[in-house]
Amino acid sequence: MNKIEMHAVLPQVFSQRTDLNSEIWQNEVLFEKNHLYLVEADSGKGKSTFCSYIIGYRSDYTGNVDFDGVSTFGLKVKDWVEVRKYHISHLFQELRLFPELSAYENVEIKNKLTGFKTRKQIEDWFEMLGIGDKLDAKIGRMSFGQQQRVAMIRALVQPFDFILADEPISHLDDTNSQIMGDIMMTEAKAQGAGVIVTSIGKHMDLNYEKTYRL
Amino acid sequence: MNLVWKLLRQHISVPQFAGFFFANLFGMLIVLLGFQFYKDVLPVFTQGDSFMKADYLIMSKKISTAGTISGSSNTFSKSEKDDVEAQKFTKKVGEFTSTEYKVDASMGVNGQSVLNSELFFESVPDGFVDVPLKDWQYKEGSKEVPIILPRTYINMYNFGFAQSHSLPKISDGLVGMIDFSIFINENGHQDRYKGKVIGFSNRLNTILVPQKFMDWSNNYYSAGKHSDPTRLIVEVGNPADDHIAKYLDKKGYEIDSDKLDAQKTTYFLKMVVTLVMGVGVVISILSFYILMLSIYLLVQKNSSKLENLLLIGYSPNKVAKPYQLLTIGLNVAVLLIAWIILFFVREYYMGVIETLFPDIEEGSMLWSVVVGLILFLIVTVMNQLAIRRKIMRIWYRKD
Repeated sequence: MNKIEMHAVLPQVFSQRTDLNSEIWQNEVLFEKNHLYLVEADSGKGKSTFCSYIIGYRSDYTGNVDFDGVSTFGLKVKDWVEVRKYHISHLFQELRLFPELSAYENVEIKNKLTGFKTRKQIEDWFEMLGIGDKLDAKIGRMSFGQQQRVAMIRALVQPFDFILADEPISHLDDTNSQIMGDIMMTEAKAQGAGVIVTSIGKHMDLNYEKTYRL
Repeated sequence: MNLVWKLLRQHISVPQFAGFFFANLFGMLIVLLGFQFYKDVLPVFTQGDSFMKADYLIMSKKISTAGTISGSSNTFSKSEKDDVEAQKFTKKVGEFTSTEYKVDASMGVNGQSVLNSELFFESVPDGFVDVPLKDWQYKEGSKEVPIILPRTYINMYNFGFAQSHSLPKISDGLVGMIDFSIFINENGHQDRYKGKVIGFSNRLNTILVPQKFMDWSNNYYSAGKHSDPTRLIVEVGNPADDHIAKYLDKKGYEIDSDKLDAQKTTYFLKMVVTLVMGVGVVISILSFYILMLSIYLLVQKNSSKLENLLLIGYSPNKVAKPYQLLTIGLNVAVLLIAWIILFFVREYYMGVIETLFPDIEEGSMLWSVVVGLILFLIVTVMNQLAIRRKIMRIWYRKD
């Protein structure tokens, strides 16, 4: 997959609103591989909605989201499974980790799908993010900031053309968000992937090539 | 351990699944046991009947003192036969044809003569006789005639004659030991035939020969003579139909009550077994509901986990698999245990039946095994579809 386009996409909940002043809703938007984007928004502007349209979790909108020029409305269940497995990685704002499993198991349950990374590589990332001692700790017992780092690692253990990071550093200090940004960009560069980061103000300090205001 | 299973087994309720397990086991067991018992016990009632199709009656006119004095006929005319044929309960009607000539016969075992007598033969249309066609045919002019004897003859021989003359007893397998010679001296012909006894019937009190032999010999030895039949053989749909009794009453006909009883018993046995199996099926259906409810509850409780798995790239099939395997495992266990219990219960009651009816065939569990498999397949397939459907509802965010 090389590009994601949005043609006049408008969430149905906004269809009655006339005061929309957005660079994404009801606009032409293009995301390409190898580029870095920032989507900025105040809360309530539909940031997570934006992500869920791209990942195929929701489809309550008018307009079109196209992958490589093909409308996603035509995708079947198995196509979306492929997209999520090999093409678009998503770091959820609400993390969607499994509290019953340990930190490592949360990453491994994703890695098992494609066997993309070795245990060694995953452990290195845990070390770099300062949670190397938490590998076997239950997610339910970790702080939100620590969970955010685990979720980032989980987002990276798959092949992807685009990575969609929904407020990745909301609970992190500057040092850790810097490290996390580096890890993400390194992996994205290695895969030649496009990066889309969303934020409600505080965002990773990266060289964004284009900023959209939602 | 498989991480997906580790995740999805959360909230599994052991009491619920145990409830399903036992309910399904009992349901399955009752269905299989009812079915097997029916198959095993049926021969007790239909035994010895192998020469005749199951549901038939032999109809004759009542012989009364008044009738004898007044000289009224006890034969069935053509119109009377047609009337019987026209009744709703009738499927098929045939006549008994008797020999129009005199027959002398002698029966011997092992060279020792047992019986010498003037006899007569009867025949019914081949459609009523249920023996392999190759045993029950006669070629014109042939000196060998297939014969079915009444079982009372052989009982008389076995329990009276053989005992006192130290002769071997004859069982169904040894009919070949009987020498049956037939002499016919009529119409200028004098012939000797060899009777080939192919079996005994305990439902027919007559010596039966093939219709073809009857037609040919009547024509050959006593051309031109014809008598109306005194007995009719009637195949009926349901022997317990009370229209039959009413009709017989009205016309003054009678049937051999013993035969009707056996058929009534068979009919009621069928009914009782159907009822019992019905109860088993209902229990099975209820148990199926228990399982479906447990699975739905489980999926509901784990719905956020399932949704997360789908969102990180797990396919609905992969997510449904642990629950599908769980139900398949449970169903297989139920099927195997039901078969094992059935085997032992059958051993027990077959012991009892065999003491009472030593002649009965051993039979097999094959049909119950097949019925069990069919039930298993139906339940399992429906489980799989229901689980899959539930997962798809999560995918489409309908729950």
